[in-house]
Order: sequence, then C-alpha cells, then structure tokens
Amino acid sequence: MGNAWFGVSVVVGVLALSISSAPFDAQAPAASTQSGARGGRDGAAGDQGGARAGRAGRGRGAAAAGPSKPTPRWPDGRVNLSQVPGVKGFWNVMTGSPIAPGGLPTNLTLDQVPFHDWARALYEYRRSRGGLDDPHARCQPAGGMRFFTVPNGMEFIDQPELNRIFIIDGENRDWRRIAMEPGRTHPSEDDLIPSYFGDSIGHWEGDTLVVDTVGYNEKFWFIRGGLPHTRFMHLIERFTRINFDTLRYEVTIDDKGAYTRPWSGGWDIAWQYTNYDGSPGGEIHEYFCIDNERDAVNFAGK
Amino acid sequence: MPVRTSRLLVLIAWIAASASVAAQEGHPVVGSWHGDRGNGPKARTDVTVIMDWDGAQITGVVNPGFENMKLQNAKLTPKDWSLHFEVESKEASGTVTRCLVDGKIDRLGSEQRTLTGTWVCGAIKQDFKLTRDRDYSR
Repeated sequence: MGNAWFGVSVVVGVLALSISSAPFDAQAPAASTQSGARGGRDGAAGDQGGARAGRAGRGRGAAAAGPSKPTPRWPDGRVNLSQVPGVKGFWNVMTGSPIAPGGLPTNLTLDQVPFHDWARALYEYRRSRGGLDDPHARCQPAGGMRFFTVPNGMEFIDQPELNRIFIIDGENRDWRRIAMEPGRTHPSEDDLIPSYFGDSIGHWEGDTLVVDTVGYNEKFWFIRGGLPHTRFMHLIERFTRINFDTLRYEVTIDDKGAYTRPWSGGWDIAWQYTNYDGSPGGEIHEYFCIDNERDAVNFAGK
Repeated sequence: MPVRTSRLLVLIAWIAASASVAAQEGHPVVGSWHGDRGNGPKARTDVTVIMDWDGAQITGVVNPGFENMKLQNAKLTPKDWSLHFEVESKEASGTVTRCLVDGKIDRLGSEQRTLTGTWVCGAIKQDFKLTRDRDYSR
C-alpha cells in the first residue's frame, strides 16, 4: 500500500506542479493592463504594442515627477547605465517594438520591414494565431532584443576592471554577458554554439554602449508578435541613457535568412524608482516562469 | 500497488513534466523530416529529407547516405505553404528518373509540422507524408 500511495502522490505532485507553473500573466492578475494584451509576460499575444516603457510602468508611481535628472556618470566620466549611490531603481522594461506605430518615431512601419516572403507570411500567420505558438508563453527565454521587452525589471552591472558588462533581467533571472575586451572578435561560425542570447561584444561610442551579437539559435521569437529570425541573425544594439530616467534602445537587425536587408528600430525604456509593485524599494524582484505550463492555450488570442 | 506499477507511474509523470520542448522557429522547412511514400497503406517506402535555407535558396538531400539525392529547384510558396522540389532517382538498372515532389506544410506553428503531397517519378505517382523531427541542437 505504501508503494501505491507513493506512486499516486508522485503523479499528483507532478501534475499539480504542471498546473501551478503557468506563466505569470496566466496565473496572477496583472498589476496593470499597460501591456494591453493578456498574453505572455511581455504581452506575447500582441504584436506592435510599441514602446510604452511608460513612467507609470507595471509598478505604481514608477518614476519621479518632474523633469529628469541628468545622465549619471562614473568618476572616470563614463556613463553609468545603472543605479547611483542613494538612488535605487531599475529599468522598467514593459514592452517595446522596432515597428511603428510603437517605439521610436523613426521606426519602420510593418509594410516597410524588408521581410523575405516566407518571413512575412510566417509573421502574419503568427499574428493570426494571437501568439498561441509563442515559445515565450511556454517559458522559453526572451532571446535577442526581446530581452528588452519583458517585464520584471532590468539592470546593468558594469565591471570595467574585468572588461565586461552584465545585463540582468528579473524575468527568469536571465542575464547577458557583454564582453568589453578591446579587439575581441566573435568565435568562428563553426565554433559558435547557437544560444538564446548569442555571443555579445561591446564597446563605447561616446556615451553610447554598442553591442554586437551573433550566434542565436532558432528556438525563440526575438520580439513579441513573432518577427521571424534565422541562425544568421546579427544584432547591433545601441544603449544610450539620454537622461537619468530614460534609456534609449536602438537595434539593427541584420539577418539574411529572414530579411532582404538590415533594418533598424528601437524604443525608450523608463527608470523605475520603486519596487515592481509600486512599493518603496527600487529593487528587482524574483520572477520565474516554470516550464511545462498548460494554460497558454486558454489565453493567447482569446 | 506493485513496485513495477509505481515506477511506471513515475515514468508517466516524468514524461508529463518534460513534454515541453523548444521548437524550431526559423525558416519552416529547415530541419530533418521523416515519413514515407507509396500507394496505399501497405506499399510504403521510408523517406528522409534534410532541408536547409541559406537566405537565398532551399537546399537539401533526400535519404542522406551513399544513395542520397540532392534537392533541385526547391521552392516554397508562402501564400499557401506549398513546397516543390525535384530529385533525380537512380534505379538499380542505372536509369535516372526525375521525381517531382509537391507538398503542403501543415501545423506550421509546431516544430513537428507535416508535409504531405504527391511524389511523382516518371509515370509512377505516389502520395507521401513527412513529419519534421524535433531538433535539440539548432
């Protein structure tokens, strides 16, 4: 009998775990409806949601009132992309799109995106499905520029003495490592191991951090809505803290597999002074989407 | 409950917990596809097709190995997700027959999407069905 109870309890336990591991938006009421879509954690069901990296954010009272303070700098004059002593906070990434009408005024419209025929058709198919097939809704990492559209906070950890910058996301506690060694090059194509975040090399151009990344796998949608990409994708990302409260994210997408020419877009990301839920603190919280959720079919596109 | 039964339940639970696998989200034809072709349910021949997309054309082989057949004139029509390719099939007699393969992709959003259609080699017309294999590396 003990064995019987053991077997049954294991099955029940695992199934309970499966049910309880639905993604955030499926599990918990959103603190805000800013994303406008009851989809994945960055509004996975949506498409051109745009850069409403709003000051209000998901957290209440996210940003300071009034004009922003100047861009902070380290003692050596470099731009500080993170917190400063005495002022906590993080980048409140909520959503973003390289396609107009969202994001920067210079963004291309959907008609202007230089898709290959198959990529445009696949994008339209994905949109018609309302994000139902989105790997991120099934807890796959937010690879590529999608890293900068998911909620739960984002921070830079600058370690110049080690020639590296980490970018950490509250979302699943994902992180990217930006190699800053002068003269560093990417591994050869044969040596690259395809991954969600690729191989990133950065350098400073004035006050802008420029990050060059290759080596992506094809297991994710690199932006909500499902813009297709292939293993050829090469992203050039530019991060500019235009004032204390605003981080401008600009990206050039160079992917001969999915697009006929490189194209660019971007969005602004707001600084949040409070905790994610609006309470005092200004610290990234812990959030995990657990694999094998079973609720995505009930929310995407419904 | 016997130990064997409880182990079976554990196995089932483990399978249930690991059912979610990352898909391939790039060009829809890329990957390896397995299935068969023939006429009727009994007279079937196994088929493996490996396909890739280099940004300009679809390349690949049918039945990789010593007797592989390279894809020729492969074209995907995204409007209806139909795929056409041709191969040259070398018979035991040495005769080379051109085969025209026309299929349609279904379950586009699934990594285990399917390709079904007709496989015509000379005067012989067969149906075929291929399923894309799960891919753990790309």
